[in-house]
Amino acid sequence: MAKNKKIVVDINPEIRDVLVEMGAVDIYKCYQCGKCASACPWFQVGTYDFPVFRYPLETALGLVASSEEKEDLAKEVDKLYRCVGCEACVDQCPLGVDIPDILRAARRILLDFGCYPEPLKSVVQKIRNVGNPLGEPREKRADWAGDLDISAFQTHMEILYFPCCIPSYDARIQNVARSTARVLKKGGVPFGILGAKEQCCGEAIRRVGAESVYQEAAKANIRSFEAAGVRRVLVSSPHCLVTFKNEYPELGSSVEAIHATEYLWPLIEQGRLKPAKSVNKKVVYHDPCTLGRQCGIYDAPRKILRSIPGLALLEVEDFAREFSLCCGAGSGALWLDWPKGERIADVRIKQLVDTGAEVIAVACPYCLQMFEETVKAMNLNIPVMDVTEILYEALNEKGSAE
Amino acid sequence: MKRIGVFVCHCGRNISGTVDVEEVVRQIRGYPGVVFCEDNKYMCSDPGQKLIKDMITEQKLEGVVIAACSPLLHEVTFRRAAAEVELNPYLLEMANIREQCSWIHADQSQATEKAVRIINAAIEKAEHDEALVPSRIPVKTRALVIGGGIAGIQAALDIANAGHEVVLVEKNPSIGGRMAQLSETFPTLDCSLCILTPGMVEVGQHPRIKLMAYSEVEEVSGYVGNFKVKVRQKSSCVDRSKCTGCGLCYEKCPVTAPSEFDEGMGKRKAIYVPFPQAVPNRPVIDRDHCTYFLKPGKCRVCQIVCPAQAVDFQQTDSVVEEEVGAIIIATGYTLYPAEKMPEYGAGKYQDVVNGLQFERLLSASGPTRGKIRRPSDGKVPKRIAFVCCAGSRDPEHHLAYCSKICCMYNAKHALLYRERVPDGEAIVFSIDVRTAGKGYEEFMMRTREEENVMYLRGKPSRIIKEGDQLSVWTVDTLTGHLLKVKCDMVVLSLAVVPPIGVADLAKKLRVQTNLDGFFSEAHPKLRPVESLVPGFFLAGCAQSPRDIAESVAQASAAASKVLEMFSKKELASEPMVVTIDEERCSGCKVCVVTCPYGAREFDEAKNIVKINEALCLGCGCCVAACPSGASEQKNLVEKQISRMVEVMLGEK
Repeated sequence: MAKNKKIVVDINPEIRDVLVEMGAVDIYKCYQCGKCASACPWFQVGTYDFPVFRYPLETALGLVASSEEKEDLAKEVDKLYRCVGCEACVDQCPLGVDIPDILRAARRILLDFGCYPEPLKSVVQKIRNVGNPLGEPREKRADWAGDLDISAFQTHMEILYFPCCIPSYDARIQNVARSTARVLKKGGVPFGILGAKEQCCGEAIRRVGAESVYQEAAKANIRSFEAAGVRRVLVSSPHCLVTFKNEYPELGSSVEAIHATEYLWPLIEQGRLKPAKSVNKKVVYHDPCTLGRQCGIYDAPRKILRSIPGLALLEVEDFAREFSLCCGAGSGALWLDWPKGERIADVRIKQLVDTGAEVIAVACPYCLQMFEETVKAMNLNIPVMDVTEILYEALNEKGSAE
Repeated sequence: MKRIGVFVCHCGRNISGTVDVEEVVRQIRGYPGVVFCEDNKYMCSDPGQKLIKDMITEQKLEGVVIAACSPLLHEVTFRRAAAEVELNPYLLEMANIREQCSWIHADQSQATEKAVRIINAAIEKAEHDEALVPSRIPVKTRALVIGGGIAGIQAALDIANAGHEVVLVEKNPSIGGRMAQLSETFPTLDCSLCILTPGMVEVGQHPRIKLMAYSEVEEVSGYVGNFKVKVRQKSSCVDRSKCTGCGLCYEKCPVTAPSEFDEGMGKRKAIYVPFPQAVPNRPVIDRDHCTYFLKPGKCRVCQIVCPAQAVDFQQTDSVVEEEVGAIIIATGYTLYPAEKMPEYGAGKYQDVVNGLQFERLLSASGPTRGKIRRPSDGKVPKRIAFVCCAGSRDPEHHLAYCSKICCMYNAKHALLYRERVPDGEAIVFSIDVRTAGKGYEEFMMRTREEENVMYLRGKPSRIIKEGDQLSVWTVDTLTGHLLKVKCDMVVLSLAVVPPIGVADLAKKLRVQTNLDGFFSEAHPKLRPVESLVPGFFLAGCAQSPRDIAESVAQASAAASKVLEMFSKKELASEPMVVTIDEERCSGCKVCVVTCPYGAREFDEAKNIVKINEALCLGCGCCVAACPSGASEQKNLVEKQISRMVEVMLGEK
C-alpha cells in the first residue's frame, strides 16, 4: 500500500541553506506578488502549471525537490526543468528577484545526484567529451567555413568571430555563420576564427545545473582566447554574448563580446555596408530573450532590417521587445521534448505568423533551430532566417564599400 | 591653561558595557588642564546634572567636557545646565563615546583607548573655545503658505485665526487642491467638496489671509523670521477687481479644451473657472487654447459679453514682494504617469484610468454627473478591475515606497461603484491590503461583505486590449490559479509622487528633499513638521503620501510651530557662525557659490566677501572651500581642529 503523502511539514533549513549556497540568493526579497506567474511563457501556453511564483518561498522553506516518493520527485524534477530562462519574470519583478537563478541552484543539486532529464545528461556528456552539444568531432568545428577562405585568428585582427556550436555544425544553421563571415568580409573587417581551438561557451549547461562541466568549458575557451591574444569576440548567439560578457569575467576573462547585429549596424550606418538589393518581403522580427531582455539589444537588429530596401518590418503587437515571448529553447530546453500542446514555441510561432509576415527573422541560433523545427511540425510554410542571412541577401555584388 | 572638568557617563551599560569607564576616568585625570574628572551612571539624570553644576561652581571650571552620547541628543540639556550656573554654554563640549565608540566596537581595551582619545580631543577643543553669545533676530509675524490644498488651507486658517497675517500662494486658478476633486472621502463617505468648501470660503473671505491664486513663488531671500518672497501672479487676462464672477464669459466661449480639474475626463472652455465652487471665483484665460492668442486679435467673445469689462487681453504677469517670518510648504502631490507603465498599456488605453480620473467619474459635479461611464464609448462598465501598487513598491522599475492612500481609496472606489452599478462586479487586485487608521479596516471589510467586492491577491503583469474589453493577466497567489480576467474598465492606483515643479521650488527655497522628491523633515520622529532649514515647515503630501486626516493634523501641527515662533519677539541665532579674515580674503567668491544658505555677499568696493550672520547656519562648507584660509568658524578654528586631529591620532 502506498504511503500517505505528508502535507503538514516543518521548514527544512538544511535544504534551504544548500540552495542559498548554490546561488538562490534572492529568496528573502520576494513578497509573493505573483507578477512573475502571468509574465512567464507558461501562462501563455496555458496547459501546464508551472508555479514560478512559488519557487522563492518554497526555497526559503527548504521544500523544493523534497518529495520522498519517486514518482512525485520525478514530477518535481520535470517542473524544475520547465523554466526556459527567458527572464520575463526577472524583467517584470518589482524586486528584481532572479527566479531562474533560484531554479538553477535547485538544478545544481539535482545534477549532483544525477537526477535530471536524460536528454540533458547526453548534452552535458557531449560537451564534456567533444566540446559541443551535438556530439560532433572537435576537428570539424571550422568546416562551416568551407571555401570561404577565412583565416585563423591572429593577434593583430580586430575581432575573433565565434559562431556558436549550432551555426558551426548544424547543416541548415551553418548558413548563419557563413552569412556573417561574408558580410564581415564585405565590410572589410579583419577577422579570424579559432576553429577546433574553441568549444561550447557552456551557457546552456550552466543553466541546466552542470556547473563543473561549464567551468571546464569556459576555462578552456578563456585559455584559447588568451593564447591567441583575443580582445574582442563577435558572436552570433546572444547566449555566447551574455556568457562572455557577464559570466566569464568571474573566471578571470577580460575579452569584450559584441553581438553580430550590434557590430553590423554601425557598418551600415557608416556606409561600409550598403544593402542595396531589395528584399520585397514582410518580415516579422522575434526578439530573442537573451538578446533583448537580458542584454537590452532591441534596436540594432531592427535598424538592420529597416535599412534593407523593400523590406517591410512587422511587430508582434503586445508581445515585442521586453514583452517578447520566448521561443522555448533556453536553459537546456532546446533538447527537451514536451508533449504536444505544452510547447512554448507553438504559441510564439502562432503570434509571429498572425502578423501576416512572410519571413520570421531572429538573431539567435537557438530561436532559429527551435522555430525551424516548430514550423515543420506545424506544417507551416514560412521561412525562419537570421538577421545576418537576410542582410547578406540584401548585399548584392556591389553592396560593399570595398 | 583653562580649568577643565570632565564628566564621563556610563549610559547604563550602553557605554560601560564596552568601555572601561573607571580606566577612562583614571587616564583623563592626568590630562593637562583637567582639574576634575568623575563618572556617573546617567549624566543626563537630575543627580548627574547637579554634579556638573556643583563642580562648575566649586572647582571654578572654565571649560567642561561631557563624555556621553551624540550632541544631537543632550548637548542642549548640558549647555542649559551650565548656563544655570553662569558658565557660557559654548564652553561646554560633548565627547561622543557612545554612537562613535561603545556601540560600534566589541573589544574593550581598544574601545577604552578610543574613548580616551575622543575625550582628549574634546578637551583640546574646550581649551580654545570662546564664550559666544547668540545675536537676537527680530521676527516678522506673518506667514507664507505655499499650496492651497487642504493642508495649506488648514495651516493658513489656524495661523490667521490666531491673529497673524498669512499669504497663501496657489498655482492653480482656485484653491481646494486634490480634495476638491474627490467624490467622497473614506472611511465616512462624506462628500469631499461639501466638507472642504467652508474652509475654502473662509480663506477667501478672511481679513488676515491674502489669497494669491494662479500665482507661484519665484524667489525667496532672507532668513528665518525675515524672509522676502517674490510671488509671480500669472496673467489671467481677467481684471480681478472688476470681475463679478457672473460666468457669462465661459458660458459663451466657443472653444473647449480638456479640463485639468476633471483629469482629462471632461472639457472646459478656453476661459474658465476650474469648478463651480472655486475660490476665488474668477475665470482665467488659457492662452494655449484661446482663439485670441492663437489667431491674434480674433474672437474676443468673452470680452464682448463681459458686463463688467473685466477681460483684458493685454494683462501681463505681475511680481509682488511679500515679507514673512515663516514659510509652510504644502505643495501636495500628483500621480505617477501611466505612460511609464508599458505593462499596463502605457496610458494608451482609454478605459484604463487612474484613481483621480475615477474620482471625477464618481463625482456628482464631474463630467458624467457621477454616473459611471467608461471613457471609450460611454457604456456602463459591468466589471471593473482595481489594480493596486501601480508604480509603488517597485524599486526595480518605479518607486520603492508604499503610497499609503491607495488601499483605502480602492476600497472606496469599489464600494461606490457597486452602489451606483448594483449589477456590476468590482475586483481589487492587491498584494497587501494596508488599512492602518481609525475605522479603516472596518471600512474595507464593509466593501467586501456588504458590496461583495472580490479581493484577489496578486499583481497583474499585463493589461491587454481584447476587442472592446481589457484582459488583466494575473495569478491569484492564494489559490494558485492563473487568471485572464476580462474587464470593461481598469482603475490603476498609480503611485503618489511630488508634483512637477517641486524640484525647482525646493531649489529656490534651498530646502532639502529626499531622493523621491518629497521634502525632508528635520527629524522623522521628533521634528516631523519642521524642515531641515529654520523657518520652513511642512504640511501634507509635500512630505510624503498621506490621507486627508493626516494632512490636516500635520497642517495644524506646522501652524502651531509657526505660532510658537511668532509668540517670541526675537529669535536667537546660531552663534557658531563663520568669520572672514578680511586680510586673507582674495575675493575669489568660491564660498559664495558653496554656501547652501546664501549667507554670503560680495563686497565690490572692498573686493572681499561678507557674511550675513543671520543666514549662516554654521555648516562649515565655506571653511573647507576657502583656498586662502580666510573663512573660520567660531569655536572650530584651525588650531582647534588640528589639535583635535593630533590627539585623536595619539600624538601628544
